[in-house]
Amino acid sequence: MAHIVKILEGFSFIPRKELTLLEALEQENVDMEYQCREGFCGSCQVTLVDGEVTYTTDPIAFIPEGKILTCCCQLNSDVTIEIPGGCKMKKHNL
Amino acid sequence: MTYTTFNREHFNATQEPMFFGRNVNVSRYDVQKYPIFEKLIEKQLSFFWRPEEVDLSTDRRDFAALPDHERHIFLSNLKYQTLLDSVQGRSPNVALLPIVSLPELETWIETWAFSETIHSRSYTHIIRNIVTEPARIFDDIVTNEAITKRARDITRYYDALIEGVSLYHQLGEGKHTVNGEDIIISITDLKRRLYLTVVSVNVLEAIRFYVSFACSFAFAERSTMEGNAKIIKLIARDEALHLTGTQHILQLLADGKDDPEMAVIARELKDQARQIFIDAAEQEKDWADYLFRDGSMIGLNRDILGQYVEYITNQRMVAVGFEPAFAIKQNPLPWMNSWLNSDNVQVAPQEVEVSSYLVGQIDSEVQSEDFSNFSL
Repeated sequence: MAHIVKILEGFSFIPRKELTLLEALEQENVDMEYQCREGFCGSCQVTLVDGEVTYTTDPIAFIPEGKILTCCCQLNSDVTIEIPGGCKMKKHNL
Repeated sequence: MTYTTFNREHFNATQEPMFFGRNVNVSRYDVQKYPIFEKLIEKQLSFFWRPEEVDLSTDRRDFAALPDHERHIFLSNLKYQTLLDSVQGRSPNVALLPIVSLPELETWIETWAFSETIHSRSYTHIIRNIVTEPARIFDDIVTNEAITKRARDITRYYDALIEGVSLYHQLGEGKHTVNGEDIIISITDLKRRLYLTVVSVNVLEAIRFYVSFACSFAFAERSTMEGNAKIIKLIARDEALHLTGTQHILQLLADGKDDPEMAVIARELKDQARQIFIDAAEQEKDWADYLFRDGSMIGLNRDILGQYVEYITNQRMVAVGFEPAFAIKQNPLPWMNSWLNSDNVQVAPQEVEVSSYLVGQIDSEVQSEDFSNFSL
């Protein structure tokens, strides 16, 4: 079943289910921080306001309570997230 | 309380705190108090690389073609990186090994410091390749005012901890007279020094290094000094892991389950710890003044680097539970992410060296749904 991602002070969308949350957000052109994309640097974390995710690989990065690591998780339910610094869209180079 | 290299007491190491418990005896990893350190070790080992794997032959030509002010930027940045890794290659060992009490953490510290020595070796590899007299560059690291000024701040917390611990090992707790001076040695004081040291190490790895990476990648953004950028990518990947390590240590110290006294200390020293972040950011901005004193380069100047310093400082402060210190919200160097991502190198497939490989590692877990599309 498809789940909905709601970004606080942003918008909502339905991601393709094979994508990690980070990939899904990037596909929607959200400007996301990242470095390692495999769970050890902690750059891509967001606050999980509501909902549930599963980790596809066990993260090594330190994740404070209430946060999730988007590069290695997928949705388990509809989720509401808050991106640190707000939901910013990528600028396109034309 | 002398340090012993093999503690002959019989005790359960998983009951010890991370630091200032009993000295470690058997390096055993079958039972672990904090399995996260084992995961860090495995990850670090899977990252193993050697500087000589990276071809720097085009960098020599590129360097010769750089204008003088850009050479100043490149070399100064490299000197700074050399200083940082010289410190990091030895200090975790010297400062932390005598007081660590868990085998997995002890091994993580050693693994971590070892990988820093690879970074140091790669700077020599780079410098040897671009200049004919490497000695002039290395000598300048200890005499250049702009660099030594920062070295003082980077090393003072380490040095204070090392001094305190060695006196403690020699004399034990209590009031003593050393060289005619009265000193009081207490574990609580040493724990304070330890906490500030870990904070300053986190600042070193999470802020100072990243500022230097920005300079290295700024050259590569313009398709020059690309071999150097490849090496820096490998270093950046290691550093991301190290800063995760220090964030875990800070978190474990602060939450008090490991050692209740450490939690009290972390609360007491919160303002001082926060100030270490802010001071480092200011020093990095001063450094930007020095780097760009003779002129900017395309894509990077004093102001943009200053904004990046503020941005990355905010991020790192939030990560360890501090209020951010600066107003900036947006990353002024959006291209940094793709440079920092180590698997993002586009090369011909036959030339690809996948940078994170695990030797002999396969996923052997088979679930019944893996056979769901099988039919007999």
